[in-house]
Amino acid sequence: MKLKKKLWLTGMTALLSFSLIACQSNETAKVDESGSGKDSGEKQTLHVAALESAYGKDMWTKVIDAYEAANPNVDVELTVDKNLEDVISPNMKAGNYPDVVLLATGRKLALTETLIKDQALEDITDVLDMNVYGEDVKVKDKLVPGFTDTLATNPYNDGKMYLSPMFYSPTGLFYNAGLLKEKGWELPKTWDEMWALGDQAKAEGISLFTYPTTGYFDAFMYSLLLEAGGPDFYNKAMTYEDGIWESPEATQVFEIIGKLAKYTAPTTVANANDKDYTKNQQLILDNKALFMPNGTWVVGEMGEAPRADGFEWGMTALPAIEDNGARYAFTFFEQLWIPSAAKNKQTAKEFITYVYSDEAAGIFAESGAIQPIEGISEKLSGDSKLFYSIYDSGAKAGMGGFAATEAVEGVSMADTLFGTIDSIVSGDKKVKDWQKSVEKVSDQMRAALK
Amino acid sequence: MNKKKEKRIFIFICTAPALILFAIFMIVPTVEVFRMSLYKWGGFTNEKVFVGLNNFKILWNDMNFFRSLQNSIVLIVIVTLITMVIAILFATLLTREKLKGNSFFRVIFYIPNILSIVVIAGIFSAVYDPTTGLLNNMLALFNLENLQKMWLGDQKIAIYSIGGALVWQAIGYYMVMYMSSIASIPESFYEASALEGAGRVRQFFSITLPLIWNNIRTTLTFFIISTINLSFLLVQAMTGGGPDGSTEVFLSYMYKQAYTNSSYGYGMAIGVVIFLFSFLLSAIISHITKREVLEY
Repeated sequence: MKLKKKLWLTGMTALLSFSLIACQSNETAKVDESGSGKDSGEKQTLHVAALESAYGKDMWTKVIDAYEAANPNVDVELTVDKNLEDVISPNMKAGNYPDVVLLATGRKLALTETLIKDQALEDITDVLDMNVYGEDVKVKDKLVPGFTDTLATNPYNDGKMYLSPMFYSPTGLFYNAGLLKEKGWELPKTWDEMWALGDQAKAEGISLFTYPTTGYFDAFMYSLLLEAGGPDFYNKAMTYEDGIWESPEATQVFEIIGKLAKYTAPTTVANANDKDYTKNQQLILDNKALFMPNGTWVVGEMGEAPRADGFEWGMTALPAIEDNGARYAFTFFEQLWIPSAAKNKQTAKEFITYVYSDEAAGIFAESGAIQPIEGISEKLSGDSKLFYSIYDSGAKAGMGGFAATEAVEGVSMADTLFGTIDSIVSGDKKVKDWQKSVEKVSDQMRAALK
Repeated sequence: MNKKKEKRIFIFICTAPALILFAIFMIVPTVEVFRMSLYKWGGFTNEKVFVGLNNFKILWNDMNFFRSLQNSIVLIVIVTLITMVIAILFATLLTREKLKGNSFFRVIFYIPNILSIVVIAGIFSAVYDPTTGLLNNMLALFNLENLQKMWLGDQKIAIYSIGGALVWQAIGYYMVMYMSSIASIPESFYEASALEGAGRVRQFFSITLPLIWNNIRTTLTFFIISTINLSFLLVQAMTGGGPDGSTEVFLSYMYKQAYTNSSYGYGMAIGVVIFLFSFLLSAIISHITKREVLEY
C-alpha cells in the first residue's frame, strides 16, 4: 500500500516536472528550428534594426528591397519601430543581437550610450577603406570630410570609428521669417543685436526666446561653446578637461544663457516636458515668441499645427559673440553601428557600405533623410534646401558630443548642463551655482573617461 | 496516521504548481534584484563588476535620490490623507444619507479609476496649462488672478500638482471600498443610537469609523503601494521628472539611473531601498493602527 502510494507520488512529481520542462524545451526547439531553417539555405540572414523617425518607415523597406535585389546572397530581416529599444532590448538580453542598428545617441533609454560605455560596439574603422557596395569608390572618399572624426563616431577619442554617420540635420534657431519681415526687424548677427531685438519685441508683447525642452539645448550649448572658444576649446570641454567649465570662455557661455533666460517666454518651463513641448513650439507659430533652438524635423512635426497669417519658417545660425565673430550651426546626425555580439559582422559591414551608395542615398533623400555624402545637398528642394544651405551663408558646422565615459552612478552631465536651465529660467538657481556644479560633474566624469 | 500523511501529500501536490511558479516569478526575481544591486553593470553585456555595497554608499551621498525620496514621501502622505478623508466622507454620505442621484454620483466618482493613467496625465496637463488651462481660467473668472500659477512649471508646487491628479483618480476606488463596509453595518446600531439622541456626527465617529477600522487599515497599505506605483507612471507621462528634477519620485529616479544613465546595478540598489522602504512603512503603519477587531 505504502509502496503504491510512493510510486504514485513519484509518478506525479515526474509528470509535473516533465510538463514544466516540456514547456521550456518546446520554446527552445522552436527557436532552433527557425534559426536552422534560415541557415539551411545558401543565403545569409542579416538582421537590420532601424529607428522609425520623422522620415518614416517606407524608405527602409525600399532600401532593403533594393539591397536584396543587388545582393541576392543576403536575406535581410528588417525591424523598424518608433520604440526600437523596447523591441530589440529583450532579444539582446537573451543574446540575439541585430547585426546592424540605426539608433542615435541622446535617446531617453540611452541604449546606444549604454553599449558605448560597455565597449560593446564593433570597431568599424575598416569600413571607411572598403568600396561602396556595387560602386568603385571608397566609403571615406564619398563621405563629407569631418563627419568621421568626431566624438559622435569615435566615442573613445582614439581615432577608431565605432559609429557610422547617417542622416544629418543642421540645427539652429528657428523663427517666423514672415513676422520679422512684417515688423521690419533685422535678423540679429551678434548677441548684442539679439538683446536689442529682445527689448523691441518685448514692447510689442512678444518674447525673444523659448525652447521645447531643455534637451534641445545640447546643440545650442555646443554651438555657443564653439563660438566662444573655437574647436580646440570645444574638444577640451567635451573631453572634460580640468577647469574648462570655469574658464573665461565658458563663463561667457553661461552668462549668455543666463541673460537669455530673462528673455524667455514665461510659460516655457511649465510646458518644457516630453508631453507638452509642442505648446512651446506653438509659441513661434503664434508669434508669441521669436526664436527657439530646434532641428529641421520641427517643420514636419508642426506640419498640421495652426499658425499666424504669413507664417514662413526661417532658420539661422546662433548670433556671434563679437562683431564679425564666428557663427555656428550645430549638425546633429544619427548613427549606424554593429554590436560586438552580432553574428554576421562582415555582411553587416558590407551593408553599411551599401547605405552610402547612390541608389540607397537617393531612396533616403526622397523621404528627406540626408546622409553626409558629397554633393547630396544639391539635389534638395523647398524648405530642406533652405535649411541645408545654412552653411553656404557663412555659418560653421559643429559636430560631436561628450566623450564616452564609464557610467557614473547618480551623475549625469546632460541633467546638470541642460536640465538646470529650467531652474535658471524660473529663477530657482543662480548662473554661478550652475557653472560650479557643471565643473564638479566634469571632474567626476573625467575620472571615468575610457 | 496514514490518512494524515496522505492528506499532506495531496495538499503538497495540489499546491506545488503554484509554489513553483511563485518561486520562479516572484522570489527569484526579487533575490536577483538584491544580487544585482551589488554589481556595476550597464544591463546588456556580460561585463559585470562586483562592487559589494559600493552602490549603496554612492546612494547615501546622492542628493538627487534624497530629493526623489522626499517627493515620494510627500506624495504618499498628502495623497493618503486627502483621499482617505474625502473618500470616507463621500462613502458615508452616499450610503447613510438618502440623496437624490445616489447611484449617479457613485458612477461619476468611480470613472477616474477606469481611465488609464496616461489619459489622466493628458487631462491634468490640460487643466494645469498656464494660459488655456481650466484651473487658471477658473481663478480668473473669480477675480483671483494673484492665485494663478505655473502649476507644472513652478518647482515649489509642481509635486503638489501631481498629487492633485493622484487624489482625483484615487477617490472613487477607495470610496467604493469604504461604502461596501459601511453598508454591512447593521441598521439597528444607528436606530438604537438615534433613540439615545446621537446626532449624525456622533454616529459617524462612534459607530461607522470603529466598525470600518479594519477596512481602513487594509486600504492604508494599498495607499502606500499604489501611490508609489502610480506616481511613477504619472510623473513619466506628465512631467518626466521636470522641471529640473523637481517632480522626480524614487521609481522614476531608479528608472533614469538604470536606463538613461546606464547604471543598471545602481538602479537595482535604488530598487532594494524602495523595496525595504515600502515594506517597512507598511509594517509600521499596520502595527500602529492595530486595534481590537469589533464584531457585530
